[in-house]
Amino acid sequence: MANILWLQGGACSGNTMSFLNAEEPSACDLVTDFGMNILWHPSLGMELGENLQQLLRDCVSGKIKLDIFVFEGTVVNAPNGTGEWNRFAGRPMKEWVRELSDAADFVVAIGDCATWGGIPATAPNPTDSQGLQFLKRDHGGFLGKDFKAKSGLPVINIPGCPAHPDWVTQILVAVATGRAGDLSLDEFQRPKTFFQSFTQTGCTRNMHFAYKVSATEFGQRKGCLFYDLGCRGPMTHSPCNRILWNRVSSKTRSGMPCLGCTEPEFPFFDLAPGTVFKTQTVMGVPKDLPEGVNKKGYIKLTGAAKAAAPAWAEQDIFVV
Amino acid sequence: MSQSDDDILRKRIGDLLANGLVTQTEPFPETEKEFGKILDQLRELPPDDLEGKLVISGFVDHPYGEDQQRCLECMYYLVHRKWCDLPELAVPVEPEWWCRLWRI
Repeated sequence: MANILWLQGGACSGNTMSFLNAEEPSACDLVTDFGMNILWHPSLGMELGENLQQLLRDCVSGKIKLDIFVFEGTVVNAPNGTGEWNRFAGRPMKEWVRELSDAADFVVAIGDCATWGGIPATAPNPTDSQGLQFLKRDHGGFLGKDFKAKSGLPVINIPGCPAHPDWVTQILVAVATGRAGDLSLDEFQRPKTFFQSFTQTGCTRNMHFAYKVSATEFGQRKGCLFYDLGCRGPMTHSPCNRILWNRVSSKTRSGMPCLGCTEPEFPFFDLAPGTVFKTQTVMGVPKDLPEGVNKKGYIKLTGAAKAAAPAWAEQDIFVV
Repeated sequence: MSQSDDDILRKRIGDLLANGLVTQTEPFPETEKEFGKILDQLRELPPDDLEGKLVISGFVDHPYGEDQQRCLECMYYLVHRKWCDLPELAVPVEPEWWCRLWRI
């Protein structure tokens, strides 16, 4: 039996919503089939007031063994480093986060806000928000770069806005069933099993990417969303087109550009007007090229791909 | 628009450019904001103002600039239809032409 405690900081509850929509396994399956004991969760917990405070204190003291501490949302430090803008169970949430992280065998950050700060930490970051162990790309965050949970692992980061339910449940199952040693994390402490490939991997528009045919307006079923509509699929590490959403689709499959929400810089360009849904260019060349591709190579490839493009690449080949 | 209509319009554009239509090739829009301003100007034109489109977007009938940029490599160019697919332009073109809305 693995005890799990899930708390929310500066959050919209999007990751909770995603988690509660999990299938195969569902949130209930985690309890009935995988031996998880959810001590408390903002949408599921029964305890209130003093009872909840006692439960949290028992987790901190070790009276209740805390196997996995899950945190969703940012750690709010405002005003003036006190964290008073996000009070929970009688004190600033950040104080609970510090003590519970030190008490837990594993700490898991769910969603962009908990991992890197996400939207709340976008400049000018009025809530003085941080992720658990990162602030955007800067290693450190609230717990500091040297933090290790009792298991010896740093915070396990599962980013996304929200994170896909399968990413959450599968990591929780791995940890709860004693297979945490199998987890391999990347430089941003994301499980490689999910975050080594790109959003583009498995995208149904890859043929249009290959032949450099652009979607120029929303609703077009032909064309790649990268060239004009700001899609970040070629630069974003996520399995969104391998592990489909609701088992059927993904943003790019439904014509929505990837926003790069599993990367530390999300939301990109600090949401400056004109930067969302528009590929940012310098002298006509995208600012951000597919990972590992340089400008010279990109221009050469484009010329060759355009010259070789078959007629069907310019047409809508999807049939309803 | 049929293929023959495309061909007729492409020839008309080619003739306009060959006969010295002066277009605004500079400044090249370096940022999205500048690019967007040109698009705004195009949207304000009457739908049938072909010359206006060519002038504002800076059409020329040859490769342009240090890198000899041309429609052929532009993201909006459809090779087989010989067509500019940028919604604000939507005109038949030749692969060796160029305009300042070029992007790759």
